[in-house]
Amino acid sequence: MENTTIVETHSLTKRYGSGVLAVDSVDMSVRRGEVYGFLGPNGAGKTTTLRMLVGLIRPTSGTATVAGQAPGSPAGLARIGSLIESPGFYPYLSGRENLRVVADLAGAKQKRVDEVLEMVELTSRAGRKFGTYSTGMKQRLGVAGALLKDPDLLILDEPTNGLDPQGMAEMRKLIKDIGQGDRTVLLSSHLLGEVEQICDRVGVISGGKLVSQSTVRELIGEKGVLVRADPSDRAAEILNRMFGAAAVSRQDGLIHLATDPKHSIDINRELVGAGVGVSELRPYERSLEEVFFQLTGEKQGS
Amino acid sequence: MIATIKSEWRKLRFRPAFFVSSGLIAGITVLVYSLNWYQALHPGARDRGGLVSILTLYPDQFVNAVMGAAFPVGAAIAIVLGALFAGSDFGWGTLKTMFTQHPGRLTVWTGRSVVFATWMGILAVVLFVTGALMSVVVASFQSHAITWPAATDILKGVGAIWLAFAVEGAIGLALGVFIRQSAAALGAGLIYILAVELIAVRFIDSINDGAYQWIGNLFVGQNVNALAQSFTSPVFGRTVAPAISAESAVLVLAAYGVGLMIVAAGLLRLRDVT
Repeated sequence: MENTTIVETHSLTKRYGSGVLAVDSVDMSVRRGEVYGFLGPNGAGKTTTLRMLVGLIRPTSGTATVAGQAPGSPAGLARIGSLIESPGFYPYLSGRENLRVVADLAGAKQKRVDEVLEMVELTSRAGRKFGTYSTGMKQRLGVAGALLKDPDLLILDEPTNGLDPQGMAEMRKLIKDIGQGDRTVLLSSHLLGEVEQICDRVGVISGGKLVSQSTVRELIGEKGVLVRADPSDRAAEILNRMFGAAAVSRQDGLIHLATDPKHSIDINRELVGAGVGVSELRPYERSLEEVFFQLTGEKQGS
Repeated sequence: MIATIKSEWRKLRFRPAFFVSSGLIAGITVLVYSLNWYQALHPGARDRGGLVSILTLYPDQFVNAVMGAAFPVGAAIAIVLGALFAGSDFGWGTLKTMFTQHPGRLTVWTGRSVVFATWMGILAVVLFVTGALMSVVVASFQSHAITWPAATDILKGVGAIWLAFAVEGAIGLALGVFIRQSAAALGAGLIYILAVELIAVRFIDSINDGAYQWIGNLFVGQNVNALAQSFTSPVFGRTVAPAISAESAVLVLAAYGVGLMIVAAGLLRLRDVT
């Protein structure tokens, strides 16, 4: 039976000569066929990790297996398509010629060039020089280059970087389409909405450490109920009795209750029956953004 | 390997520097021939030993004449092209694109080196074809019979120029890989070949009445000059035999070429691509 994991790292670490610890003991696993979001703020170590996975930089310690091979080995690279940071193409060549150059190196057939240009909707502009492309066109050509090998694993590093809202929406749609079927997509981003919309599972990296790895649903957690009541202490006491202290937390005058929103009627009845005034009672779901800021220790709105 | 060479050639044939360098080499040959022609026909009263004989500009001497036209400008062009060829891939971010395809780093580098050497060969041919055409023009205007050197002499000449261009270019290539950008690499290469090496050789030659001249004779420029001077004939009026034999110069230059390529390959193989 074929291994279900296509990317696996153990204690993957990169320390630069200057002493900067860019990636710190990352244990990451990406399953075949999934769209995996690699989330983290700028400078968290996302690109360094991805560069190690494609063999562009060597880890200081730890190991990684990508498509069953050591990172950077020709056998492994033959099954990986990647767009790391910005697309690297020759400015004096047209989009099509650039892809032909890459196709030669990748061992892909030249007719595949037109297929991938069609996939990223660049056929009509493929004859223009790469240097004259807009940021969005450059990114799309980068994705086309990554698709030339028809890879099992597609690694995309911040593919929506520098795109306008329309370009971002188009890129999201493209990635969703690419991720259909058996192909695995490993997508790094610091845009939470993007990851929430596209990815099956996410890994969150902060300060070089992988602080969480799970499905988006698991990461966000169960839904809850938000209660604003007066007196608040009395309300918390009643809710503690009903659901247990572990399910109740208070913040900014609001009571967060980790329970199914279907209990809202019971909650309202109990509180009102006990003479507590209820001014707000609504279902509550944490956003990925809240979870992200909690995990990375970043401040919201900063 | 074939795929890598195909890919490199596809890039090179559209590269502006490919056409510009060919045009530059042809233009310099035309200029040098034209100036020498004018000087040969208009010797000044003060000209004595430095006279250019019109006989050096006829087709039977064109191999020897072209050697003089190729340096030092040709060498400088080769260094610039080497630095651009290797360094610009760092600036454009295309190195990571190349290194994340199927072939390994050493295969990519070997393919690149083969294509670069071919490029230098094309420049050598452009130089010789232009020189031959100019010699025909001079001979026709001077109503002189057109006779050509032996084919083996022409091939030896093309080979010598190719070797010199390839080695000078390899300096640029290695600097481009070492510095990881083209501008500083070509600057450093030009300063080295046009200044540092000349000063170093003169200094070494002056120590202990030339006791260490053999060290000076190991420098690239000395060997390129010796190789160029080996292509001469009595009509050029040169009587001083070069201190380095042509065979020795070829060996030293070949060693430089191979050595520089290996060093660059090692750097590319071992260093991170950031």
